[in-house]
Amino acid sequence: MKPKIAIEHLYKIYNEGKESEFAALKDITLSVGADEIIILKGVSGSGKSTLLSLMAAFSKPSRGTILIDGENISKLPDIFASKFRNKEIGFIFQSFNLIEGLSVSENVRIPLVLEPLEKKEIDQKVEKALQLANIAHKSQQNIADLSGGEKQRCAIARALVNNPSIIFADEPTANLDKENSLKFIEVLEKFKTLKKCVVVATHDSLFDDLPFVSQYINITDGELVL
Amino acid sequence: MSIFLLDSIVVMFFVETVLLLLMGTSMFAVAKILKYWNFDASTTLQYALEKKNYLVNTIILFTIGVKIILFVFFVKSLDDLAPLVPGAMCATGVIGANKFGNTLLIYKIFTLFLLGVWVVINRLDLKTKKFDYLRKKYYLFIVIFALLGIEFALELLYFTNIPLNTPVFCCSVVFVVENLPFGLETVDLVKIFYLLFVSILVVDYFNKASLSFVLNILFLLLAYYCVTYFFGTYVYEEPNHKCPFCMLQKEYHYIGYLIWSTLFLGTYFGISPHIIYSLIGKKYQRLLRYNALFLTLFVAICSYYVISFYLRNGVFL
Repeated sequence: MKPKIAIEHLYKIYNEGKESEFAALKDITLSVGADEIIILKGVSGSGKSTLLSLMAAFSKPSRGTILIDGENISKLPDIFASKFRNKEIGFIFQSFNLIEGLSVSENVRIPLVLEPLEKKEIDQKVEKALQLANIAHKSQQNIADLSGGEKQRCAIARALVNNPSIIFADEPTANLDKENSLKFIEVLEKFKTLKKCVVVATHDSLFDDLPFVSQYINITDGELVL
Repeated sequence: MSIFLLDSIVVMFFVETVLLLLMGTSMFAVAKILKYWNFDASTTLQYALEKKNYLVNTIILFTIGVKIILFVFFVKSLDDLAPLVPGAMCATGVIGANKFGNTLLIYKIFTLFLLGVWVVINRLDLKTKKFDYLRKKYYLFIVIFALLGIEFALELLYFTNIPLNTPVFCCSVVFVVENLPFGLETVDLVKIFYLLFVSILVVDYFNKASLSFVLNILFLLLAYYCVTYFFGTYVYEEPNHKCPFCMLQKEYHYIGYLIWSTLFLGTYFGISPHIIYSLIGKKYQRLLRYNALFLTLFVAICSYYVISFYLRNGVFL
């Protein structure tokens, strides 16, 4: 079966050719199936987040290809990369990246702003995402008034609102206590039932040996450790 | 050195120099892109070129934006120079002060048209997944860069050769004899002007780019004469005041800027689709609707002065 994500000989090198050259990723080759959940493990600075940002088309590699559904997304011009992100990707950031001053519902609505949808349809999608992330009861609350766990659930709802086929999570439990971290793992399992392709970058040991995870991939100094 | 007659001219030259330097620097990147570009490659060089492509696009778009502003600044400077050049009452005297003036003005309008075409091709290029028009876009830019270099030299020649001791001709002398094309009378000229305008609207409606190209060039030429020898007299409300530049002055509420800019913009949108099709083989007829919009605005403003004068005085000039 064709993989959802196929990465081939991927490099990300900063200041290439200069004295300060630094290879954040070196010769990464991996593939992820359409409904697989994979965990990228590694210490801080190992290259996990860099790999996620490349897979999400936030930045471009120095060499190599990233195929998503057979399309090389690392070659997409900016305008197409933006459309691709909006349609295919849900991203959960380490520090949530929510807009304070807006309500939960308004934050979740943001990815739909540019979509040519009726207000009613947008409302339905937002409501569904809020339900999936268990944050519907706080929909009118301002972001500033939420706890860390609630903020994360809001971020999850925002990542789901466009019904993306791929979800990336970068250190999703770094700002959470153990109770909320375990709740996130429950959500992760829910992603499996939703048949999403999920890539989580973490160094949290709570993610070790989860039965629903398809692959654990270790990264050290920008290289995959097999 | 007449360059130093006005601060604005010094500033203009400074900005022009900066722009040329910026574009000159971009040329190195353009040359590298043209030589090594291979979109299908996932090599370090190709990724670096793709980044450079965005940088160069941004620089060129910036320079084009500034060039458009500089053109208005140039025209304004000509007008501001009039009191300093003996005999000149408006920009007509200044622009005709030496043999380079009129050539420079036409040349500047021509390069602006070309820059506008580049902007559209660039926009179309960025809308494709594989930068389909990248090479043609940059070949055109190389031509434009060379033309802008010539423009700069022409500008230097013009501003350093404005005579400050010899009187120049003012508009009342330059345009006293109606030097109309094809030996036409003013009335016939105006009739053809309106006929051409209606024809352009019809052609735009049917999206005929090549026909629009021909009609718009004819219209531009005819409109110049009509504004100078007919509509202008209604702006000034004087039958013998025939000048394309005086209407840029404060006394006439700077209406000339609106008149000429709507004409140039309208014509630009009218001729561009055919040029773009010739250069990159892409039909981009949607620009024709802006052609219709701006030319309608132009004709409306010109006609307003005639109608307004007639309604107030009961006679034509």
